[in-house]
Amino acid sequence: MKFHKILIANRGEIAVRIIRACRELGIATVAVYSEADRESLHVRLADEAYCIGPTLSKDSYLNLTNLMSVATLTECDAVHPGYGFLAENADFAEICESCNITFIGPSPDAITRMGDKSEAKRTMIAAGVPVIPGSDGIVEDMDEAIVIAREIGYPVIIKATAGGGGKGIRLAEDEESLIKQITAAQQEAQKAFGNGGVYLEKYLTSMKHVEVQIIADKHGNAVHLGERDCSVQRRRQKLVEEAPCPVLSPELREEMGAAAVRAAVAVNYSGAGTLEFLLGQDGQFYFMEMNTRIQVEHPVTEMVTGIDLIQEMISVAEGNPLSFRQDEVVINGWSMECRINAEDPERNFMPSPGKIDFYLAPGGPGVRVDSGAYPGYTISPYYDSMIAKLIVWAPTREQAIAKMKRALDEFAIEGIYTTIPFHMRLLNHETFVRGDFDIKFLEENEV
Amino acid sequence: MFNLNEIKELIQLVDETSVQEVEIENEGSRLVIRKPSKAETVYVQQATTAPAVTPQAVQAPVTATPTASAPAAAPTAAEVDPSLHTIVSPMVGTFYRSSSPEAAPFVSTGDKVNDKSTVCIIEAMKLMNELEAETNGTIVEILAENGQLVEYGQPLFLVKPE
Repeated sequence: MKFHKILIANRGEIAVRIIRACRELGIATVAVYSEADRESLHVRLADEAYCIGPTLSKDSYLNLTNLMSVATLTECDAVHPGYGFLAENADFAEICESCNITFIGPSPDAITRMGDKSEAKRTMIAAGVPVIPGSDGIVEDMDEAIVIAREIGYPVIIKATAGGGGKGIRLAEDEESLIKQITAAQQEAQKAFGNGGVYLEKYLTSMKHVEVQIIADKHGNAVHLGERDCSVQRRRQKLVEEAPCPVLSPELREEMGAAAVRAAVAVNYSGAGTLEFLLGQDGQFYFMEMNTRIQVEHPVTEMVTGIDLIQEMISVAEGNPLSFRQDEVVINGWSMECRINAEDPERNFMPSPGKIDFYLAPGGPGVRVDSGAYPGYTISPYYDSMIAKLIVWAPTREQAIAKMKRALDEFAIEGIYTTIPFHMRLLNHETFVRGDFDIKFLEENEV
Repeated sequence: MFNLNEIKELIQLVDETSVQEVEIENEGSRLVIRKPSKAETVYVQQATTAPAVTPQAVQAPVTATPTASAPAAAPTAAEVDPSLHTIVSPMVGTFYRSSSPEAAPFVSTGDKVNDKSTVCIIEAMKLMNELEAETNGTIVEILAENGQLVEYGQPLFLVKPE
């Protein structure tokens, strides 16, 4: 079933990315925008564009009714949700289906199964994918807690099942500490979340965040496209990503890739997805979660594999089998991505929205810029602060670092603060250059 | 199809602005005006694609509406009398002037409305939403066409407040 028209249910650089893929495939594009995004690049590039609401996301980009209204009235064959917003909303996927519009992504069932953390963990265990050792659900009493903690080994994290935002997390270094902390944790959870349930997990240190890109078709074929190292994070926000991971051996790559494919098959997955793992210095890896959507950092995988992930997503959604087999996937060279945000690195990354007076993106061999910005464009304060993704490719990691530094140097953005100076310093930091940094890198180091 | 005068006016328009290329498809015909350097090329061909206006340049919008048959784009921002109140669409949907195809329109130009008067229906996802005027006055102009897709914030009626 060939798509003739696709609605892009997103904004910013990813909307531009999807429109570009559609253009090359000869598919007509429909853009949607909030009032604040009237002057956006994705609006200008699309064949048709419709205002779907006021500034607030909940009234516009999350406005199911207006979105479906546009999709049906403009006779779209499919909707691409991008990332964020409704990309992992099973209800949205289902509504698309009931309106006879293809949701470019996995089934509502796959989204749901992977969205529920404990269900996802159970699915992974059944599929033989290693998970973070911990209690099987909520800890009922102190005795059970002690037994489990002895099994998984200290230090142990006590987590509130209803917790979030870093709240309801306590660390227990030994049994004595555990006994003291469990009751306190339960009471704290009850007060803060109205649910005193806590579970235990092994506390892992010196971990890298390594994720594996998979893509599957609707005919049961699932393939992995290698991994990405996303350990450079600030407050759990990724800032720099690279492919491949500097510390992964070919054997480990195979193992993790195979585990990721097993996970996808276990939930009957179709489309692009990412399995996120924590990788220890001992080479042990543990399932963290699965993102059932395309990710921000997908370009680095595209650069090292030569595969256009967005086009492949569209092809798979149309019902075609994957256009390549696992043995045809070759990881070639090294790619890195720096997320250039409208933030002031000198003032604790304070958001710096405003009008871009001058904008000149870098070029030259091996340089790619994915962005929705242009001279005169105003980065509004209402959505994320991303200006552009700067991606480079080179034959080796050293060359990729050199190229990224060169490209960052050329990247001229005036009128707002950007994180370009931060990225320059990061690329010169010896730990980053060594490649063995873990997810605590930015927390524990001055950059 | 465009007549010679219309084509002449279009060429003049393209020439006078910084627009590089204009492509208009309408009723089976396609007109492309391109300004590659100093020379202007104009060619016309029969096409079977649906009517659409696709300006290729992003530099400067064509400020005047061509005199050719109206393109299917959203209504251009007209010079609105600031004393008039505009009723805009609160959602995306299909604009209907009456409750059913056989019924008379809710309002026509010259009709008086108060804030509870139903002025139109916006249909979205099979649900009919009646829109109220939310103002007292007289309908001066109806800006959307029956059966047209309207977007959030699109002007629908001009009302002269009383």
